[in-house]
Amino acid sequence: MTVLKTSLRNFFAHKGRMALSAVAVLLSVAFVSGTLVFTDTMNTTFDKLFASTASDVTVSPEGAAGNDETPQTGRPEALPASLVERVRKVEGVKDAQGSVTSLSVTVVDARNQNVGPTGGAPTIAVNWSPYELRSVELASGHEPRGPTDVVVDAGTAEKHHLKIGDTLRTIAVTGDHAARISGTVEFKVTNPGATVVYFDTATAQRELLGKEGLFTRVMVDAEPGVGDDALKKDVAAALGADARHYKLQTSAEVADAGREDIAGFLDVMKYAMLGFAGIAFLVGIFLIVNTFSMLVAQRTREIGLMRAIGAGREQVNRSVLVEALLLGLVGSVAGVAAGVGLAVGLMKIMSRMGMELSTRDLTVAWTTPAVGLALGIVVTVLAAYVPARRAGKVSPMAALRDAGTPADGRAGRARGVTGTVLTGAGAAALVMAARAAEAGPGSLWLGLGVVLSLLGFVVVGPLLAGGVVRALGVVVLRAFGPVGRMAERNALRNPRRTGATAAALMIGLALVAGLSVVGSSMVASATEELDRSVGADFIVRSATGQPIVPQAQAALEKTPGLDHVTAYKWVDAKVTDPRGRTTKSGLAATDPTYVRDLRRETTAGTLADAYGEDAMSVGSDYAAEHGVKVGDVLTVAFTGGDTAKLRVAAITADTGQVDKGAMYTNVSTAARHLPADRVPNSLLVLAGAKDGQETAAYEALKDALAPYPQYKVSNQADYKEELQNQVGQLLNIVYGLLALAIVVAVLGVVNTLALSVVERTREIGLMRAIGLSRRQLRRMIRLESVVIALFGALLGLGLGMGWGTAAQKLLALEGLGVLEIPWPTIVTVFVGSAFVGLLAALVPAFRAGRMNVLGAIASE
Amino acid sequence: MTSAVTIPRHGGTGEGTAVAARARQVVKAYGSGETRVVALDSVDVDIARGRFTAIMGPSGSGKSTLMHCLAGLDTVTSGQIFLDETEITGLKDKKLTRLRRDRIGFIFQAFNLLPTLNALENITLPTDIAGRKPDAEWLRRVVDTVGLGERLKHRPSQLSGGQQQRVAVARALAARPEIIFGDEPTGNLDSRAGAEVLGFLRASVDELGQTIVMVTHDPVAASYADRVLYLADGRIVDEMERPTADAVLDRMKDFDARGRTS
Repeated sequence: MTVLKTSLRNFFAHKGRMALSAVAVLLSVAFVSGTLVFTDTMNTTFDKLFASTASDVTVSPEGAAGNDETPQTGRPEALPASLVERVRKVEGVKDAQGSVTSLSVTVVDARNQNVGPTGGAPTIAVNWSPYELRSVELASGHEPRGPTDVVVDAGTAEKHHLKIGDTLRTIAVTGDHAARISGTVEFKVTNPGATVVYFDTATAQRELLGKEGLFTRVMVDAEPGVGDDALKKDVAAALGADARHYKLQTSAEVADAGREDIAGFLDVMKYAMLGFAGIAFLVGIFLIVNTFSMLVAQRTREIGLMRAIGAGREQVNRSVLVEALLLGLVGSVAGVAAGVGLAVGLMKIMSRMGMELSTRDLTVAWTTPAVGLALGIVVTVLAAYVPARRAGKVSPMAALRDAGTPADGRAGRARGVTGTVLTGAGAAALVMAARAAEAGPGSLWLGLGVVLSLLGFVVVGPLLAGGVVRALGVVVLRAFGPVGRMAERNALRNPRRTGATAAALMIGLALVAGLSVVGSSMVASATEELDRSVGADFIVRSATGQPIVPQAQAALEKTPGLDHVTAYKWVDAKVTDPRGRTTKSGLAATDPTYVRDLRRETTAGTLADAYGEDAMSVGSDYAAEHGVKVGDVLTVAFTGGDTAKLRVAAITADTGQVDKGAMYTNVSTAARHLPADRVPNSLLVLAGAKDGQETAAYEALKDALAPYPQYKVSNQADYKEELQNQVGQLLNIVYGLLALAIVVAVLGVVNTLALSVVERTREIGLMRAIGLSRRQLRRMIRLESVVIALFGALLGLGLGMGWGTAAQKLLALEGLGVLEIPWPTIVTVFVGSAFVGLLAALVPAFRAGRMNVLGAIASE
Repeated sequence: MTSAVTIPRHGGTGEGTAVAARARQVVKAYGSGETRVVALDSVDVDIARGRFTAIMGPSGSGKSTLMHCLAGLDTVTSGQIFLDETEITGLKDKKLTRLRRDRIGFIFQAFNLLPTLNALENITLPTDIAGRKPDAEWLRRVVDTVGLGERLKHRPSQLSGGQQQRVAVARALAARPEIIFGDEPTGNLDSRAGAEVLGFLRASVDELGQTIVMVTHDPVAASYADRVLYLADGRIVDEMERPTADAVLDRMKDFDARGRTS
């Protein structure tokens, strides 16, 4: 009981010294609970959306694409209108409505600006039916009444300043259709970012499906008292033999399918963010260990006294752990609360990026606070365990000794041996990873190498502190004379503390360095490969991932100044090797000019021959795995078309990243085995300019595509730059998430300095008394901070570059052939960490400067 | 000592008659109203240059406060303090710091040295901080006098208490301050080590012409001084020239007796 009382008293007496540790716990817990709240809220939003848009039973054509997919033909699978009448007559059916829905559309305004989202959410065109009114209500104007009317959702209208009467052009595979806005609709549930346009049914059928009398789905509602499953059975029975052409789903099944579609994306996001939270926790552990070590050291006499008057080791030990428990509790409770705020903030950011989320749907499951509290408390108590044990070992004699400053924590020989062994093992594993012949075991080696070398550096860090800090001292500190020398000595005074503080920073920076090496190697490798293999002058891609509509393709082909235009289409097919093994994949059906646009090396045959009648090529990996040689015949079952026998005329080398493993065939070969309306549109188009007309052709191409803003045309130089920007953006997101870990590490530096200043109060008083000015004192603390930060940066960058290099060597198997160390980034991070050091010292230095000289000298 | 208002200026040290520091009507009070405690009550004092002055008095007499105020470590409630001709009352922290660095030396009762610096580095710290080169000749003389030649590379934790205090004295002397203030510099030492340090302080007055002010409650320590000032209840109540330990002790007993009967 008394022990608990002392713990409580100590905790509240030293709450200032624990504040930063609490903030570290808070940040990590906030990130975890924020992630959970955010993903739960997204799930709620989508669940509500699916619930509001699903009918009791939905009938759609067998083979229809899922919620978010768009068919390569650009034409949704359809079913005859007569089916609606058949279904309506089934017993138990209250009502059945035909629906026309297409996701293969782009909607542009009068200035050819895409009004749809480009960041993942779809643009949806639907027919106006009573059924739609379940999820939306008319906000202004009137419903679409004829071919010239279109209704758009209010969110899109607001974002793009659209008014009633404005013209919208809908680009579909069947052609462009212009109509004037007759009204806007408001969603009854949260619409997470889709742009929706509504036409009257006949127009929708004509413009989206090519002719009237077709629907994409039949929405069926049950009579009261009829269950969804029973209704589904009844409808299936009524359709009899025709049922096999259709897919019947209850509302629950539709919702499940929809959830599955987004689950992949949500899970990746959730686990990536939890991973970064884990890194922050790891960094926070160092901070907590340091805090408790310093508190125990400062309290040595007090603990000695408690032991002298009869407190047992266990009691002392426990009293420290109870303090840790309180710290964890306070930090976690605040963290969970902050997490909810973080989730709301994240939703705001996502909203700005086009992913609309509403706080109405904010979901805090009971597991969120439970997980947050458990994590925060367990991690804090575990981190405090070692210092707590050390506290238990304080002898009663400590009470009698003159405390002065606590004894230096000497880095021992055991530590050196352990650290060296771990680092050595880590380095060996990294070398194994770099030399691995296969990606699978290689990545295991890499993971092992990263973990072991990190542990090794953490353990050996305090031993390196001496040498590295002295070396840094020569470079950085000598310029500052005695103040610099004292800063250096102070940083070296407790190598364990300096090591742990720097290690926290090291972790974040090592990841930054490693990833930047991989990222810039990625760009360098891709650039090198593009230079080597790409012959095309221009590439046309779709920003939304949808294939290029025929009218855009036609405009492309008519562009003056072009030598040739190569269509690149993706055809779904099942490929069976001569031994009867089938793989479900697809073929890249391209025009024969492709061989000029992309120089693929072959291991056998000539790629040009693969464009002969009923010929194809395979990749070297496939050839090796299936024992396929040039001249062999593969059976290719085109989805929705014939099964053809195609002769292998070439085997391409699977070395680079571009089009790795693709099987090529001529567009004409694919077209011969597919019905006309099943021939896919071009996924991308490559083009070459006539000699000397490159610049003019580029401009002409841009002009030709101006009415189709969903497609982007780039020449080689722009394409490389876009690639670089893409990787850069990805890296920036990762750096942003790592910033959390780095912020915690910086708090760690602040914490160490602040506690050191408290610990050295008398020294500071003495120095001030004999004439050290405030400015010099502050400079001394700042320099100490800078040295610790630079030490951490040096270890982290070194470690990270090692990781990055090993990773690149491993990824060379996947075509990442060029190693590029991004020196500007590395140098920036190193210099930046010096500034981080300055920043971290700001408050501790200010507080040290404000100390009263006499009070400081007299303090115990 | 309430005399002497005009003081001739002297450059350098060693002039036995001049005044190194003086306090005029110095009041130091803590708190206000009911809880007001007066630590110094209109004190006037002159510290003679090139002499060794001891300040004595019972606990709570204000002797440490007087020294802290004279040394610019503490502020006064009213009155003036001069170091030579410089008025230090009212100086801003920056100027006070420079004054302490360049013109004043300190020896505290304990914790005089920075644990991270060795003996020599501790000795040259004030000049280092000031960004000056220590006067090599003077430094050697100081180090020789203190007798620490072989231990200059030792860290404070490797030195005995007496040695540490001698290093502290050497540090105070090395910067050639106008005045050295000692706050019970032998309070933590046994009598032999204490005698060593006091003898050394005496020698620095006699041989180097240093001005020293020392607060102590030990009559033996006071007997090393040229002059002893007695403080009681924040006022200077007596003084003694060329004190001996016995005479100081007698005088102290006297005060104690008076204090008890009055």
